[in-house]
Amino acid sequence: MSKNWLTQNTFHYSAFQDIERLVNIKEKRDLTISLCLPTLNEEKTIGKEILIMRSELMQRAPLIDEIVVVDSGSSDRTLEIARNYGAKTYESINIFPDLESYMGKGENLWKALYITNGDIIVYLDADIKNIHHRFAYGLIGPLLMDRRIKFTKAFYDRPISTGKTMRPTGGGRVTELVIRPLFSLFFPELAQIIQPLSGEYAGFRDLFQQISFPIGYGVETSMILDIYDKWGLDVIAQVDLEKRIHRNQSTKALGKMAFVILKTFCNRLEQLDMVDIKRNLYNEMIQYNMVKDSYQPDICKIQAMERPPIIEIPAYRERFSDADSGKQEK
Amino acid sequence: MEQYIKNLPSVFRIIKSLKETIITNIVFMGQIPAATFHEKDRSQAFLKRLATFGVDECSTDDYNNPIGIIRGTSNRKPPIFLVAHMDTVFDSDIDHNYTVKKDTILGAGILDNSVSIGLLLSLPAILNALELRFESDIVLAGVIQSIGRGNLRGIRHLLKTWITPIRGAVCIEGVELGRLDYYSSGMVRGEIDCRIPITGIKSDFSRPNAILMLNEAINQILKLRLPQKPKVNIVFGKISGGFKHGKDAYDASLGFEIQSDSDQMVKLLFRDIKDIVDGLNHENDIDMSIKTISNTSASRLKFNHPLVKSAAAIIKKLDLEPISQHSESELSIFLSRKIPAITLGVTRGRNYHSRNSEMMIKPMFKGIAQIIGVLMAIDNGVCDE
Repeated sequence: MSKNWLTQNTFHYSAFQDIERLVNIKEKRDLTISLCLPTLNEEKTIGKEILIMRSELMQRAPLIDEIVVVDSGSSDRTLEIARNYGAKTYESINIFPDLESYMGKGENLWKALYITNGDIIVYLDADIKNIHHRFAYGLIGPLLMDRRIKFTKAFYDRPISTGKTMRPTGGGRVTELVIRPLFSLFFPELAQIIQPLSGEYAGFRDLFQQISFPIGYGVETSMILDIYDKWGLDVIAQVDLEKRIHRNQSTKALGKMAFVILKTFCNRLEQLDMVDIKRNLYNEMIQYNMVKDSYQPDICKIQAMERPPIIEIPAYRERFSDADSGKQEK
Repeated sequence: MEQYIKNLPSVFRIIKSLKETIITNIVFMGQIPAATFHEKDRSQAFLKRLATFGVDECSTDDYNNPIGIIRGTSNRKPPIFLVAHMDTVFDSDIDHNYTVKKDTILGAGILDNSVSIGLLLSLPAILNALELRFESDIVLAGVIQSIGRGNLRGIRHLLKTWITPIRGAVCIEGVELGRLDYYSSGMVRGEIDCRIPITGIKSDFSRPNAILMLNEAINQILKLRLPQKPKVNIVFGKISGGFKHGKDAYDASLGFEIQSDSDQMVKLLFRDIKDIVDGLNHENDIDMSIKTISNTSASRLKFNHPLVKSAAAIIKKLDLEPISQHSESELSIFLSRKIPAITLGVTRGRNYHSRNSEMMIKPMFKGIAQIIGVLMAIDNGVCDE
């Protein structure tokens, strides 16, 4: 186990708050940066997220070159608000129209690789109530300033908004009850990643285009496992973004999330020949609700679909003609 | 000045081009809780961010009011103050995260007075984009401990310790666009507390009820004969008390305000109310007390003061109707020190003091244009007579 990783590859966002310096490095290295926000009914937070990023990292300092929203079919005003504040907006279903379309965050992230232009892609969840531009520059900083680093992952305190008031602690239950025990069992080095399921990460296109993307919740887990497997732990860094306020999720919703993550993890273990599962895993998450005087099953079918590395898609290769070799940095 | 008014369409365009930065400033400031006496975090963030906009000086006075100065071209002209209060009525345990919609921003304290603090922060960038320079220094002052029990301590201290003359001042408040306040009433804000001693052996039936005692106080205050002139008004604005439906109230509290254009009348009425409280105390077995929460003196500019006339003209040029009423805010402290000053509203909104207070974005651009117009008028000498 690499004992130095935690100290060498863990940063605090404040180390990168000299944004002018980041812009200079970006220009010197001739890089472009895209910010991608996957959405589904995020009208309450999307406007603030876009305008703060545009103000601080596009208008006041040109660190980000484009903001792209990829939407899974919101029924609220998410796309209208996003357009109003200057983001490029796409409906996921219209990207690669010849391919069968799926609904999920991972699907949006994968398709975003096709419609964005940046050499670096920053993915941020669109439901961050206390959004601040540190969420983006904190993740971009290590990628620009340390040539070893190719992928950055956020970690933070996680207060929960319960509507009218704030609960100071909580969150991260799936991380502590599912992912960390699994990492500890199979990949102890990865247990050094404080919040492997955080929805905020950034990396070079060259990496993202070579890994597959589960269409749903499993995307964060598979991303870490695949990057670790292909390039090792040293290309990964984690950045302390201090505080992130998010919506509280019910235990049932977290159960579904855990189901998908476990399934993704099992698939990866099999691919890596670390375990041999003798039969196919089921696709249904079974939960129970009390209805009147009896328990009724609430069965949710969850497909474990994965998109292949996007470099394998001809249309993508055509659009990014130099994608095979990767961009030559100055 | 005339050129500025003539160029208003392009002024709007330039101000609107900074929409993202202006809203970001409003959101960043408003999301930091700043209940009165607890403004430290917001003040520090204000100064830190103000410094990134390239103002010439950023500091706090010795009362911790955060202040930025945009240096003017002349060192002979006194400074012009642009002031907004930092504090809000909301405690820190309230969710302060704002929602930005297409046309509005929602959140606790957005109208009172986060939008104004955001504008103070944005002004250096706006003036820069408009390529405007002033002869006077522009002092951007976020003042602490303003509302309620704060009793305008921040602005009182700032002006008491400011050593040079002040040319004029504009106080900004979230709503309403078109607001043009240029006079303040004499005012005393007070509280009557009534407590029923719970020692002794009296049964509930014979024990006085704090709410009824306050009711008696209100009845006696309402019987006071108020003159037609000078104008005077007593407002009962807050009441609380009691424990549960079936229990006589042990305690109750009444918040009131006496307003008049005569300071003497305010004092006389306060004394009358104190006599009523003393009488009720004497005649009943209760502990009733009266205290002053805050006070301001009556002071005003005349309607034909060049500052008022200029501001009204600018507001009308923006197709708005100027609306004036007495204001017991920072304005009263400037006016009591004989410094020409007005209060302007920035935008429109609703649910003024609720957690879901909502401001409209589009009218704000007119609000900003009017503020800059008035600053230019002061810089051109409307307060110099």
